[in-house]
Amino acid sequence: MSEINKKSLEHLASLARIKLSPEEGDNFLKDLEKILNHFKELQKVNTDDVMPMTGGTNLKNIFREDKVVTDDESDIVRDSLLNKKEGFLKVPPIFE
Amino acid sequence: MNLSDLTIKKVHDSLLNKEFSALELIEAYFKRIEDFDKEICAYLSLNKDEACKAAEKVDLSIAKKEEIGELAGVPFAIKDNILIKNNPTSAASKILKNYKATYDATVIKKLREEKSIFLGRTNMDEFAMGSSTENSAFQITKNPYDKERVPGGSSGGSVAAVAAYMSLASLGSDTGGSIRQPASFCGVVGLKPTYGAVSRYGLIAMSSSLDQIGPITKTVEDAGILFKAIAGEDSFDSTTTSMNLEEILEMSLEKIKNLTIGIPEEYFIDGLDKETGNAINEVIQNLKSLGLKFKKINLPHTKHALSTYYIIMPAEASANLARFDGIRYGSLGEEKNSQNLLDLYFRNKSQGFGPEVKRRIILGTFVLSSGYYDAYYSKAQKVRTLIKNDFDKAFEDVDVILTPVSPTRAFKIGEKLNDPLSMYLSDIFTIPVNLAGLPAISIPAKTKGLPIGFQLIGQYFREADILGIGRYYEKM
Repeated sequence: MSEINKKSLEHLASLARIKLSPEEGDNFLKDLEKILNHFKELQKVNTDDVMPMTGGTNLKNIFREDKVVTDDESDIVRDSLLNKKEGFLKVPPIFE
Repeated sequence: MNLSDLTIKKVHDSLLNKEFSALELIEAYFKRIEDFDKEICAYLSLNKDEACKAAEKVDLSIAKKEEIGELAGVPFAIKDNILIKNNPTSAASKILKNYKATYDATVIKKLREEKSIFLGRTNMDEFAMGSSTENSAFQITKNPYDKERVPGGSSGGSVAAVAAYMSLASLGSDTGGSIRQPASFCGVVGLKPTYGAVSRYGLIAMSSSLDQIGPITKTVEDAGILFKAIAGEDSFDSTTTSMNLEEILEMSLEKIKNLTIGIPEEYFIDGLDKETGNAINEVIQNLKSLGLKFKKINLPHTKHALSTYYIIMPAEASANLARFDGIRYGSLGEEKNSQNLLDLYFRNKSQGFGPEVKRRIILGTFVLSSGYYDAYYSKAQKVRTLIKNDFDKAFEDVDVILTPVSPTRAFKIGEKLNDPLSMYLSDIFTIPVNLAGLPAISIPAKTKGLPIGFQLIGQYFREADILGIGRYYEKM
């Protein structure tokens, strides 16, 4: 397991659309190294033939009727937009 | 009216006997908040107009001699990650500072139907990430017992509000101990229900396979009353299931005496502070004198719970928080300053999220990334199964498990803020419960000085057992 480094940290942050300041980057690198180091103890646990627990319950296949329910709360949503035009949110261009 | 003395039952009886009106009660709480919250900083905002109107309606029902439920007119403080329609809800994060909830969470809807009253929203660690409420983007909440200490977290505001009599009860959320650890630090009762007992619809998700909403109250009985009101199947959360709620407050002493309590060796570790250890031993002696039987048990994978949790939780959180872009849930107004949409995302997320949230998003992105998925995420999910199996095996021999809630009492503000790992360690006794999905309650031990809680862990959907034992302990 290779350790996390400055370059991979920046890559991970950019995948999450976060830009780290140089100070944040240095601090995070130290914290994450310490945390990932702590995780290493898990490798000692024998998990051969153990099924992963993928959720909080053993419940599965919950069905409900496929029914259309109208619940229009768009006024409240529009109220919270600061920069809008004709009821739509204005954002910068997606394509150059 | 003495706010320090009130319980849900007392409020109900007093309203019916006209000792005070619902409006007088609510006004007394707002007065108390006005006088004390400047120091404690439990509330992020108050809901005075709406609360007074709701109280007047309750008074009108009483005047008309209409039948009212036990929770009518009862005031609640609500953690800032639970949606109340038309009210701001921010999860104590700057990225949601302009967000207004467009619907009621199921728990709010249920309490509204009971004619309960919402005083305001309470402070928390940003997106419930923390164990001290110091990670809030807006303010630091103080422990009402010692204002230089933290109230615990992440539901620190909800807990401090109840402890300082600024609300009769409150709702919090618990992903790794966020109800129980602060309840222990502030000397109140906090219940984390079985995963699937209470709907998570309208709870801002951190880690979907671990999160549960639960009550924070002054007495175990109140926790039971509130739990009964919010539990149940909900078509908006397919992990919920119906459970038998009849027995919740009906366990007789005879039945309680027949329960066996397990004491897991792995929870009495070197790091456990001496006063906490002594307090737990005293609780065990008290319960023995009630006639309960005790048995030593082993939960061998306990030591791996912290690592397992801090892989699974950030993985789920990084996915859940991806939706917060500073555009869709109340915009931050950076649209004009951005060159393109990508630039806007970077601006909003970099400014909108605090350090602990960024740390966990990046950690979660890392453990899910190609090349590391099997070593970290998949491994953690398998160890989670082993932790759950430990509990299943233990519950073949015992009915309930008793442990400390946290290794220490409330720590000083700032003490652990710059050392994430030591902060994470304050949840080592509560985390395994969330990983297994079990119900657990934190109840104040009868000690002097800074409060110490003990934890009772029950079997799946057996809240009745832990609430039952708690009620008889409380009466001793």
